[in-house]
Amino acid sequence: MKPIISFQHYGFKYKNQSEPTLKDITLDVYPGEKIWIAGPSGSGKSTLAHCINGLIPFTYGGETSGSLIVGGEEPVNLSIFELSRTVGTILQDQDSQFVGLSVGEDVAFVMENKALPREQMKVDVVTALNMVDMLDYIEHSPYELSGGQKQHVSLAGVLSTDAEVLLFDEPLANLDPASGRLAMQLIDDIHRDRGKTIIIIEHRVEDVLQQPVDRIVLMNEGSIAVVGTPDEILSSGVLRQYGLRPPLYADALEYAGIALDAIKGLSIPQKLDVAGLKDTLNAWSERSGVKPEGARREPLLSAQQLTFGYNLEHPVVRDASLNIGAGEIVALLGNNGAGKSTLSQLITGILKPQSGKLTFAGEDISSWSIRRRGEQIGYVMQNPNRMITQHMISEEVGLGLKVRGIAASEIQERVEQVLKVCGLYAFRNWPVSALSYGQKKRLSIAAILVLEPKLIILDEPTAGQDYQHYKEFMDFIHTLSEQGVGFLLITHDMYLALEYADRAIVLHDGRIIAEDTVAAVLSNQEVTSAARLKETSLSLFAKANDLTSPAQFVQAFINEEKKGKAHE
Amino acid sequence: MNKTGSLYVPGNSLFHRLDGAVKLVLFLCWTVMTYLFLDLRVFAIMLIVGIVLLISAGLPFKRIAFLFWLMITFTLLNAVFILLISPRFGTTLTGTDTPLIPLGYGKINAETLFYVLTLSAKYLSLLPITILCIFTTQPSAFAGSLNRIGIPYKISYSVSIALRYIPDLTTEFKTTLNSMQARGMGVTKEDGSISQRLRNLAAVVVPVLQSALHRIDSVTNAMELRGFGSKRKRTWYSGQEMTPMDWIVALIFVIAATIAIVLKINVLKGFWYPF
Repeated sequence: MKPIISFQHYGFKYKNQSEPTLKDITLDVYPGEKIWIAGPSGSGKSTLAHCINGLIPFTYGGETSGSLIVGGEEPVNLSIFELSRTVGTILQDQDSQFVGLSVGEDVAFVMENKALPREQMKVDVVTALNMVDMLDYIEHSPYELSGGQKQHVSLAGVLSTDAEVLLFDEPLANLDPASGRLAMQLIDDIHRDRGKTIIIIEHRVEDVLQQPVDRIVLMNEGSIAVVGTPDEILSSGVLRQYGLRPPLYADALEYAGIALDAIKGLSIPQKLDVAGLKDTLNAWSERSGVKPEGARREPLLSAQQLTFGYNLEHPVVRDASLNIGAGEIVALLGNNGAGKSTLSQLITGILKPQSGKLTFAGEDISSWSIRRRGEQIGYVMQNPNRMITQHMISEEVGLGLKVRGIAASEIQERVEQVLKVCGLYAFRNWPVSALSYGQKKRLSIAAILVLEPKLIILDEPTAGQDYQHYKEFMDFIHTLSEQGVGFLLITHDMYLALEYADRAIVLHDGRIIAEDTVAAVLSNQEVTSAARLKETSLSLFAKANDLTSPAQFVQAFINEEKKGKAHE
Repeated sequence: MNKTGSLYVPGNSLFHRLDGAVKLVLFLCWTVMTYLFLDLRVFAIMLIVGIVLLISAGLPFKRIAFLFWLMITFTLLNAVFILLISPRFGTTLTGTDTPLIPLGYGKINAETLFYVLTLSAKYLSLLPITILCIFTTQPSAFAGSLNRIGIPYKISYSVSIALRYIPDLTTEFKTTLNSMQARGMGVTKEDGSISQRLRNLAAVVVPVLQSALHRIDSVTNAMELRGFGSKRKRTWYSGQEMTPMDWIVALIFVIAATIAIVLKINVLKGFWYPF
């Protein structure tokens, strides 16, 4: 069979860079294959995607070496549009990709550009929307859709072009776990039913592996490090080496002293055919899975029966009560639209509740302004670009102190100390624009930290970061909590909650439906299905292998991870 | 504004069904007619026709209230200032002088009063048609219509794309403002002097603009990947084909504008002052 995409000793160097971003890439992708390209940030996987869909060389210029054939032609000899007949791209940023003012219009965008007659477009749009089950939304505007729905619409638009290859650039980046699962399912359906060649660029291992893939291509520092089937890659244990997080149950097996290299079928949490596995794991769970004593904490923030709604018949948040103690990390979980952001805006004072009471360190803060609350409660938004306004790094951190009228010498001292804590001291005289996304995220925390708040609300702190940065960042948060700072983590990431939070609060439809240790919450099927949370692969694995107590197995894993942290 | 960020109010009146380009022609003809004359009789007729059209479109007053009062206020202010600054201006048009209201430094005369009335009627006759054109036109359909009357599609599409992303920018701006306020740099009264508050506001504008530029970059990529600009022609999903009704309305207004020009040259040459 002839490959549909073929890289032969291919290299690429961006115009304004001195080092090549891609080096000696040799890879054949065959029609009907499902390929997953993985690797840490900066490994060149996005650049590889740009080469396939033609953004390189048409939008981003540079020097190439070796050869690349897409659909039997060299991209350089085509236009970006001709290339898009072979390769359809679904971008990571659904908001930028959705250019139409309505769903129908967006799906029709390619047809409009092909100058199809309107009558035919109307018919084709309906067909395309049917394929992704979004026909009911044809008149909706992008503001009425969730991230997952926007992605479905983009997919419908690409499917209508009959492109043979579908390229997904980080399809899971902005989705909650349930939408992510749905997206992977839809991609797989299209792969099977329509025989499309699928290329997925991602770094979230477990989420991608929910559906089978044919080959994994691991990228590292601009080259292909390893190519193999999921089973081969997982058993070889190389993922961590390339900044990727192996499935948790694979880690758990290692903690329990079981060697991975002989095991088949690790790509999904299923029953494994290994002699004595069940007994070994049960013994390990019992040994290591002791639930830690909950430490007594000074109460910090307490919300009592907060209710808020733009329309009082359907409040967005109703009767929400919660407590956060000093030095405690509490995870706020729930699906999109459950009221998580609204609740945090009520706490920071951006919104005022219709009823209910908020106290901070015993004092009623209901009447405090945003600004006054800001001195005690720091709010770090998901997107650091929404928070950074200054040109220089040290100015950005010192800004909040300056407006509080603190003396310049003291500002300098406090800024330097915070920059040291956040690992940004070396960059203190750099412009903000020189930082990576993850570093900006840290900068936005530094700017809050310098004000010495007692409580910090973190909205999706690890979104868009690869495993290594994720781990560094969260370990840093953990250290801060040991110094007595309380944290409320708003997150979709169950593992983040599992590993770092002391407790979880689950919000569903504006109500708090559960409040317990994270392991207990995530093992409670009633709660997970109501709030559309994902049951962890750990407990799925434990159930599939008939372990005595899945909850204990999960707890054992958490304890081992925490122990690991203490050793570092 | 509705969720899509446009001012469009859905409906099914004659004006809603008219093609966007026809509405543009109509608006241009109407403007030409307004600016040709200085004759209260003409404006009275135009005002009546305009108001009838506006009522027939059935737009909820709440949605148009802001623009409505804005234009009324502007017209009133304009009238008051003319009366105060040049109370005898009417004389230069009619040659007569009938003093009426003493001001101390001069007297407002009847001629000026009538001139101001005519001028206000002139501005107000533009009001109904402006509101109609803005609130009954679906923006993406309008882009298609503009393209049809000969404006290159890359330019007309920018209308639609601006409307698509302006609400995103507004949200970004509000979010950034909130985060700044929590750090002590707000724009409300308690956040310091006016100059300090303006500086705070400016500090927020810069990153939002930067992110807008970044956004333009990724939207451009998305559009190119989907074939925008690859052909010389482009079709439009939204909107309808021109109907006979569109042609009739366009024709009526072009004829009306022609008649108006003829009238202006031959009959209603200057300022109409009946007294």
